[in-house]
Amino acid sequence: MSKFVDFMENKLSAPMARLSEQRHLLAVRDGVISALPFIIVGSFFLIFAFPPLPKDWAITQWATEHAAEILIPYRMTMFIMSLYIAFGIGYNLAKSYKVDPLSGAQIAVAALLLTLTPTALDELGFVLPMQYLGGHGLFVTIIVSILAVEIFRVCKQKQITIKLPEQVPSSVSRSFEALIPVAIVIILMSTITVVMGVNLHHVVDKLVAPLVTAGDSLFGVLVPVFLITFFWSFGIHGVSVVGSIARPLWEVYLVNNSQAVADGASTIPHIAPETFYQWFIWIGGSGATLGLVIAMLLFARSKYIKNLGRATIVPSLFNINEPVIFGAPIVLNPLLIIPFIITPIVTAIIAYFATSIGLVSPTYIMPPWTLPAPIGAYLSTGGDWRAVVLVLINITISVTIYMPFLKLYDKKMIAMEQGEE
Amino acid sequence: MKVLFVCSGGMSSAIVVKALKTEAKKHGHEMEVHAIGTSEVEQEMQKGWDVCMVAPQIKHRFNQVKVHADEAGVPCGAIPAQAYTPLGGPLLYKTLNELIK
Repeated sequence: MSKFVDFMENKLSAPMARLSEQRHLLAVRDGVISALPFIIVGSFFLIFAFPPLPKDWAITQWATEHAAEILIPYRMTMFIMSLYIAFGIGYNLAKSYKVDPLSGAQIAVAALLLTLTPTALDELGFVLPMQYLGGHGLFVTIIVSILAVEIFRVCKQKQITIKLPEQVPSSVSRSFEALIPVAIVIILMSTITVVMGVNLHHVVDKLVAPLVTAGDSLFGVLVPVFLITFFWSFGIHGVSVVGSIARPLWEVYLVNNSQAVADGASTIPHIAPETFYQWFIWIGGSGATLGLVIAMLLFARSKYIKNLGRATIVPSLFNINEPVIFGAPIVLNPLLIIPFIITPIVTAIIAYFATSIGLVSPTYIMPPWTLPAPIGAYLSTGGDWRAVVLVLINITISVTIYMPFLKLYDKKMIAMEQGEE
Repeated sequence: MKVLFVCSGGMSSAIVVKALKTEAKKHGHEMEVHAIGTSEVEQEMQKGWDVCMVAPQIKHRFNQVKVHADEAGVPCGAIPAQAYTPLGGPLLYKTLNELIK
């Protein structure tokens, strides 16, 4: 058994975790995360525009009439999140190469903007097609931000820059250093977009279409769900590893969903943004461990498990479960790893079907992840009370799955405690 | 003594912070313990810490943290998995003392 565990840890989980620390993946991850405050705050304006209140109330009618105005903060934040993310990716990638992060961020933004063609409108002057700066633009954003910063740092490392004498203030010489790479990026991007007339967004949309479909299928949901608890079983932060790769896709789903709601579409397109995992599956944290902690409080007889249950119930309500994962421990403990992996798979399947057959609204708002799950699920679905019911059902199921394993483990602990006395 | 905890987002280690402080008090020491996420390591490390401890769930990033700790001359060690719980105070305190020896 210990050989097997060693093999899994050293040959499988550790190398995969290190892969997620690859420079570009890391920059994309940190870039996307840097935009989350804008996505979280921006998404809440959707609730204000479409409040979950009876339709005949005066306030609901007022909100519906003024939805376009109420949604302006949303349009300028979440709706164009790719613009914020381009800045974040450029900044973080440049920083990892130890070249000027601010220049890196600005070059990435320029590269993204140059994938768009502004149109002149009589009364407004030039306008940008904003929809390409939202969910649809994210993949292009990742590609061109990385490309732009790579050009920037190669120029810098190969000394292809304009050098000024040392007496010149550093802020001035820094902006001159960026001249040549900025020129290369702007000429390259303009050639693609303007001279060749290629809309990169259309090209990339076609390329990633299969991925976007796959990630939203039941299988596409179960793979990350499994991998996340698999990593945690070895004590590695699963969401931070798997999220590095999957989060861009999850944010695309979220923004597309929010856009459908903002545009008054009758159906919401995607089942599985990150919010779906967060509120219906990771209840109490990855592995749906709120169920385990409740089982500890209800059934544990050993001193250690009882104390642990009391110490971890509050953090668990706010979806922080490292104390349970390392405290029980679940890490490298086969007896608890089994339900830890099975439970979220079962609750994911239930939540997936509940959402896909329309029993629960898809999620499109991103509340902060430290809210208790029933509240988060209610807000995230734009105020669907059935989402709260689904959360409660999933909690009950997770308590049920964890219970027999916990009882076995509890017996072991009682025996150990008696042995000590 | 000033202790810096590093975890993924600076959330979970906040719980363990309390466990260490309580344990240190039992031994008659006042401790300043601060929890941060990996993204803040580079900046925070310069602020004069006596020791830096890295949470077990980011052991795959331990070397990244250690580079910054070495630059700043701060002793840096991993928190054992068994110590990373609200009940892990004693082991945490022991690990800490071995680090600064």
